Amino acid sequence: MQANGPVVSIEHLSKRFGEFVALNDVSISLDRSRILGIIGPNGAGKTTMIKILVGLAKPSEGTASIAGVDCVREARKIKHLVGYMPDVFGSYDNMRVHEYLDFFGAAFGIKRKVRRTRIQEVMETTGSTYMQDRYVETLSHGMRQRIGIARTLLHDPEVLIFDEPANGLDPQARVEMRELLLRLSAMEKTLIVTSHILPELSRICDRVAIITKGNLRAFGTLDDIMRTVNERRTIEVQLVSGEDIESAQSILEKCTEDGTEITASPSEAMVRFATSQSELELSETLKKLVNGNVAVSQFRELQSSLEDAFLSVTKGDETAEEADQQTEEPS
Amino acid sequence: MNNPIIRRELFGILQSRRALALQVAIATTFAFLVVLRWPTDATIGIGGSQSQEVFRLFGYGLLATVILLVPAFPATTIVREKRSGTLALLLNSPMSPVAIYFGKLFGVLGFALMLLGMTLPAAAACYAMGGISFQQEVLVLFAVLIVVVVQCATLGLLVSSFAGTTDSALRITYGLVLLCTVIVLGPHLFLQGQDGILATAAARLRHLSPIPAVMELLRHSGIGGEGIVAASGAPARYITIGLGTSILSMAVTISRLNSSIFDRSRSQGLITDDRELSTRVVRRAVFLVDPQRRKSSISWLTNPVMVKEFRCRRFGRIHWLLRMVAACAVLSLLLSIASTTGTMDWDVETIGGILVVLQVGLIVLLTPSLAAGLISTEQESGGWQLLQMTPLTANKILRGKLMSVVWTLILILFATLPGYAVMMYIDPKMKLQIQRVLICLVSTAGFSLIVSAAVGCFFKRTAPAIITSYLVLFAIYALTLLIWLGRDAPFGHSAVETALKINPLATTLSVIKAPGFESYELLPANWWFMGIASASSAILLITQTWRLMRPR
Repeated sequence: MQANGPVVSIEHLSKRFGEFVALNDVSISLDRSRILGIIGPNGAGKTTMIKILVGLAKPSEGTASIAGVDCVREARKIKHLVGYMPDVFGSYDNMRVHEYLDFFGAAFGIKRKVRRTRIQEVMETTGSTYMQDRYVETLSHGMRQRIGIARTLLHDPEVLIFDEPANGLDPQARVEMRELLLRLSAMEKTLIVTSHILPELSRICDRVAIITKGNLRAFGTLDDIMRTVNERRTIEVQLVSGEDIESAQSILEKCTEDGTEITASPSEAMVRFATSQSELELSETLKKLVNGNVAVSQFRELQSSLEDAFLSVTKGDETAEEADQQTEEPS
Repeated sequence: MNNPIIRRELFGILQSRRALALQVAIATTFAFLVVLRWPTDATIGIGGSQSQEVFRLFGYGLLATVILLVPAFPATTIVREKRSGTLALLLNSPMSPVAIYFGKLFGVLGFALMLLGMTLPAAAACYAMGGISFQQEVLVLFAVLIVVVVQCATLGLLVSSFAGTTDSALRITYGLVLLCTVIVLGPHLFLQGQDGILATAAARLRHLSPIPAVMELLRHSGIGGEGIVAASGAPARYITIGLGTSILSMAVTISRLNSSIFDRSRSQGLITDDRELSTRVVRRAVFLVDPQRRKSSISWLTNPVMVKEFRCRRFGRIHWLLRMVAACAVLSLLLSIASTTGTMDWDVETIGGILVVLQVGLIVLLTPSLAAGLISTEQESGGWQLLQMTPLTANKILRGKLMSVVWTLILILFATLPGYAVMMYIDPKMKLQIQRVLICLVSTAGFSLIVSAAVGCFFKRTAPAIITSYLVLFAIYALTLLIWLGRDAPFGHSAVETALKINPLATTLSVIKAPGFESYELLPANWWFMGIASASSAILLITQTWRLMRPR
C-alpha cells in the first residue's frame, strides 16, 4: 500500500461495449481524505467508472488503482480496500438489520468478537443503532442508505465509493447524509460520491469531476471547474431607479465586447450582462456608467454554482452535437 | 378487449418467445401422439380401441399440461405488480377492482385457452379415427379442461393477492394445485368401501380433483384407477365443484383488490428477548426455535452464505422446517400403521409406493422453489453485486447456497424414515429393497436440487427461473409417467421401460415393487442418467456462477 501519492489513480481509462464508448480516456487522481464528486447526466459513464474502480468491470484500455493496488489484476485485494455502496440497495427479505450487517461482516472474514463490536461502531457512526432489530425490507429509503453506508464501513476500508447516496432522500435526510459524509472524511477516509443533487455535492466535495458521454469534461477543485467551464461571468448592475435602464443599457453595449447578451429588468431596476472582461476592464465599465449619470447602487458578480457549470458543459455538448448533425446532413 | 389490462397481460405473454415455443411444442406433441397411432393399413378396428388408446394419452397429456403450465402465469401476476408498485397505480386509476381482476383473469385464460386450441386438430383426428363420441367424450373432456384452467387461474390469482414474493406465490400455488388434484384423492383411497360420514366425506372430497372426471371420460379403470374412478357423473360433479371454488376464489381476490392490500404498518422489529418473561416462555413453548429471537453472530466455522440463506427465507427458517419434518414423520407413520392394522387390503409394497410418491412429490414441489432462485434472486434484488464486493469466492457462495437447500432436503428425507423402519419391521425381507429405495430417494433429491439450481442460474429474475425449473422437473417426473399410462397400448413394454429410465420416481417405485412397476428393470440405467445429468448440471452451475462473479 502506498503511504504517499494519490490514493485513487485512474489513467487513460476507456471502456467500450461493442461500438458504444462508455468511457473515453479518463484520467483522475485523488489524494487521501479528499471527497471527489462525480457528476454527469444519466448514461454519462459515472457508474461504469466506479465499477472499474471496485473491480466489477474490466476496462478496455487504461489502468485504475487504489492505494497502489491494481483494480483489475488484484480485484480481491481491492475488496478489502474499498467500501462500495451501489445505487441499488440489495436487500434480503426477512433479515433484520443486525443479521444483515453480521452476514457481510462474516463475509469479510471479520472474527465474531470483533464483528460484534464493529457492527455497534458502524451503526453508531451512521446513526442507525435504533434500527438494528428492524427488518431490512421495511426500512425507509433514508434508513436503507444509512445501513448501506454502515455495511461499507464494516471492514474499515480506506476508500468509500457511494453511487447516488442522496438520491430519493428528503431534505432533512439529505442534510444528515451530508453531515455523515463529512464525518467519514474527517475519519481520514477517501470518498468518491456520484450524485445528481449538485448543491449537495458542491457543499461537501473538495474535488469535482464532470463526465458527459464518457468524456471527462472538467476535473479539479470547485473554483478550478468554475474557471474552466464558465469563461464568462455574469455581472449584475442594480440601479437606484428604473428610469436609468435605457441609458445603462446603451453604455454597456458600447463598452462590452461584441455579442454580449444584456438583459434588463425595469421592474427590478436591474441590468445583467455576461462578459469575459478582466477586473480592470470591469472597473472601467463601472466608471463609465457613473460618468454617464447612471445612479448605480450595486455592481456585483453573480456567483455561479456547480449546477451552472454542469449545465454549461452539457449545453456545450448539445450544441456540438447539433453542429455535427447539420454537417452530416446532405446539402 | 376494451380492458387495457387484458391487452397488456395477454399480448405481454403472447409476445414472449417462451409463449411461442410453448404453443409450438404443445401443438407438435399432441399431433405426434395421433400420428403415432394413426392406422397404417386399410383396415381399422371398428370397436374404436385404437382411437380410445390415443384419446387416453391425449386426455391425460392435456390434463397434465394444463395443471403444470397454467398456475405459473396467474400466481405471479398480482404479487409482481404489488412489489413493483404498479398495482398501487392501477388501484389509483378509475378502473374498478372487478375490471382489474377480470383483466388479469381473462389475460391468463386467453393464453391458456389458446394452448387448448392448439390441440384441437389432434382431438379432431382422434374423433376421426372413430369409436369416440363427440358430445359425450370430446366435448365434455374439453369442458372439464376449461374448468381446470379456470380453477388454476383463479387459485393462482388468489394466492398472488396474499403472497409477499413471487417465489412464495409459485410454491404455494403449485402446492395447492397438488392438493386439489392429487392429495384430495388420498382419503378416498384409504376409506373406500367403508360406511360412515368420513367415508362419504372422502368420496365427495375427491371431486375437487379433475382426475376422477377425466379418468371416467377416458374409460380408464386400470392401474391408478382403483378407488379413484367414480361410478358415474364425475365430470358433472367436478365441473360444478370446480366452478364453485373458482367463484369463491374470485370473490375473495376481488375483495382484496383495494387500498387495504397496502395498508400495513411497517414491522417495528419486535424481538422476543426484549419482551416480558411470560411472553418469552409462551413463545419458547410454541416455536421451539423462535423466529423473533435475536440471532447470534455467524460462527467462523459456518458458511455465512448458508446462514444468510436460512435467515432470509421465511420458509427456510428452522421453525418451519421443524413443522414440516414433524408433519412428514406423522404422515409416514400413519401410512405404516394403516397397513399394519389390517383395515386395508394393501400390502407393504403399496404402502411403500405411497410413501415414495409422497416423498418424491414433496421433493419435486419444494426443490425448485428453494434451489432455482439461488442465483437469480440475488441478481434481481441487487444482492449479487454486494456479494461480488466481498472476498467470498464463487465456490464458497455456491457451496453455501446449495448447502442451505441440502440441509432442508435432508431433514425432510429423515422425517420419512420412521415409515420405512416400520415396513422393515413388518417384512424384514424388504431390507435390501428399502436400502435401495433410500439410495434412490437421496439421489432423487440431489438430482432435483442440482438440475433446479442449474436451470435457475441462467435467469435474472426469480419467477421465470422457478417456473422453468418446475417445468423441467415435471417433464422428467410426470410426463414420462404418461407413457407408462399408455403401456401395453399404444406403447410396448420396452418403449415404456426406456421412457421410465429417466424418471427417478418410477425407478424408486420399481425398486419397491409397487403395483404397475414390478416388471420394469430401471436400475442401474436411471442412476447412470441421474449421475450424468447431475454432473452436467453441476458443471453448468459452477461455470455460470464463476462467469457471473468475474468483472465484466
